[in-house]
Amino acid sequence: MTTESPTLHEPMGARRRWRFGDVVLQGIAGLAAVGLAALMVLLVIEVVRQAKPALQEFGAAFLTTSVWNTVKDTYGAADLIFGTLVTAGVALLIAVPLAIAIGLFLSELAPRALRTPVGTMVELLAAIPSVVLGLWGILILGPFLNEHVEPFMIDHLGFIPFLDGFPSPVGLLPACLILTLMVVPIVASISRELFTSVPGELKHGAMALGATRWEMVRGVAIPQVTGGLVAAVMLGFGRAVGEAIAVAQVIGGSLTRPESLYAPADTMAIRLAAQYQGTATSLQKASLAYLAVILLVISLITNLVAQVIVRRHQRRLGHR
Amino acid sequence: MNVRKAVSMSLAVAAVAAASACGSSGGTTTVTQTAAGGNPSDKSVLVGAGSTFVAPLVQQWEADYVKSPAAVTITYGAIGSGGGIDQITARTVDFGASDAPLSSDQATACKGCIQIPWSLGAVAITYNVKGVPNKLHLTGPVLADIFMGKISSWNDPAIAKLNPGVNLPDTHITPVYRSDGSGTSFAFTDWLTKVSPDWASNVGTSTQPPFPTGTGAEHSSGVVAAVQATDGAITYVDLAYVQANGLNYALLQNAAGNYPEPGTKSVLAAATVGTKNPDGSISLVNPPASAADAYPDATFTYVIVPQSSPKASTLKAFLEYAVGPKGQAFGPDLGYPKLPSSIVASDQALIAKIGS
Repeated sequence: MTTESPTLHEPMGARRRWRFGDVVLQGIAGLAAVGLAALMVLLVIEVVRQAKPALQEFGAAFLTTSVWNTVKDTYGAADLIFGTLVTAGVALLIAVPLAIAIGLFLSELAPRALRTPVGTMVELLAAIPSVVLGLWGILILGPFLNEHVEPFMIDHLGFIPFLDGFPSPVGLLPACLILTLMVVPIVASISRELFTSVPGELKHGAMALGATRWEMVRGVAIPQVTGGLVAAVMLGFGRAVGEAIAVAQVIGGSLTRPESLYAPADTMAIRLAAQYQGTATSLQKASLAYLAVILLVISLITNLVAQVIVRRHQRRLGHR
Repeated sequence: MNVRKAVSMSLAVAAVAAASACGSSGGTTTVTQTAAGGNPSDKSVLVGAGSTFVAPLVQQWEADYVKSPAAVTITYGAIGSGGGIDQITARTVDFGASDAPLSSDQATACKGCIQIPWSLGAVAITYNVKGVPNKLHLTGPVLADIFMGKISSWNDPAIAKLNPGVNLPDTHITPVYRSDGSGTSFAFTDWLTKVSPDWASNVGTSTQPPFPTGTGAEHSSGVVAAVQATDGAITYVDLAYVQANGLNYALLQNAAGNYPEPGTKSVLAAATVGTKNPDGSISLVNPPASAADAYPDATFTYVIVPQSSPKASTLKAFLEYAVGPKGQAFGPDLGYPKLPSSIVASDQALIAKIGS
């Protein structure tokens, strides 16, 4: 497209013969790309348009108000933002160290014969449909936490404010753990790739200077890939924030802010999914669209930040 | 410029193709959110959606009506009353069904919709507490306190006082409510609003009430599943669901101070003293003490139809069948009493308005 002169190694006849195919290919591929971009823009416009009455009525106060009252017709997202951030945050808190450890094990520490099978299994975890994971949460994880883990935590950790309460088969804790399972494979497989990308001469150099394996990992491998790890965590966060199905299956659902880690709660994604069909008032519908706007903004920011970090990381590796 | 034009053209073509595909397949599939339209010209199919409360009865009608001389296929999606109102407002279905009458906001949005009471039933209270027998006695104010979190254990003196001789455990109470828009929620909170000033000022009546505590679940099946999974849980659900699944249920005190069995007899007793609201709906909750055997929390359930519809004649015939003797005959076995004759007469007058 940039130059009009015919390419040197192709005779004119061949070019003419392929011209029709080229046009078709160009058309289909271009249409797909432009269509998808257009769809994305239209989607954002539509969501914002639907949210407009709520945006005008509540403004930024929507983010800090915790009432969700269909009788008085006033809405606020504070409790839902709280539920979303707590579930995603706790999930990341557990998942990230675990996932980085798995990534390290698979790239540096595991015997060669173990690397592929274990790595494949970790990646398969990401392939389990979330509804199946949620079902497992309802049938196995929830009741197990309710009968064994939560009573123990209440007895021994109950002095910490948020860890006191009543055991429940549905609530924040199982939701956090289900999200952990969803985030681990994403972060683990990215961090494995990152650690593998660290040049061998650096690792071997450190070892040759007398560093232990741990010192090599801490002093050479991790600093090399910090940017990439942050990006991986961001992607995991995006996944955790937007997940609705599996979380809805185990979190219980609540219209107020939970008082303990075991109590039922709600997230923005769940409220949106549960209430959009069959709203009591038009302002409620607009408020649900407002939630969608918040979710869009959060995932847009996390994805952009992750992309910027990855690009900077790649550029640094490329320049070296 | 040409490329841009081509893109918008082909997007439009794709949209039209998708829309027409939806239209032609809608009649044969079961109801989903979008593929519910049916072919407007195909008069042998009626598509409806809404109330889970009335769904067991409509399913009987589906099976029977297709075999009748009319030979019309009824397809009904039990997506919840709120969803039913949404769908008929958007005209993606031929009829909606809701246990809650249309709010004035909704009635305006629905543009000329008629709501016709086509069945009635009881809202039952079901619970799952290890060691607590069936038919626990409860009152409206006690239930209001339970669902507001003011009574939080099963051996609370307020519950014990109503149930002398019953050994109540100190299990924590987990109230379970409908998280989707629900006519059952409306009927339940309507009753609590009328018998508990505390409830009226703090929560109120809605298809999606702002419950201050408890666990939400979707649809009748969801709340029942949540109750069965949780020791100490309690919820409200249509009586037909309780009967079909053999669940525990509470006996509720009415205005006369009695504890009638929930069922066709006590619901009918409430229906005979029902009061008509300005919007044409009929309220059955908290019947006066003069009806000594009336169930305190019963509700009519409504079919909502547009006054002008391309399928007006088909719709009229089906609704005549539903409120008529053949349709109503299926009710009592499922826990829905037959409509009182006065209601049938006013229903027929409403049905006559369709298409006029």
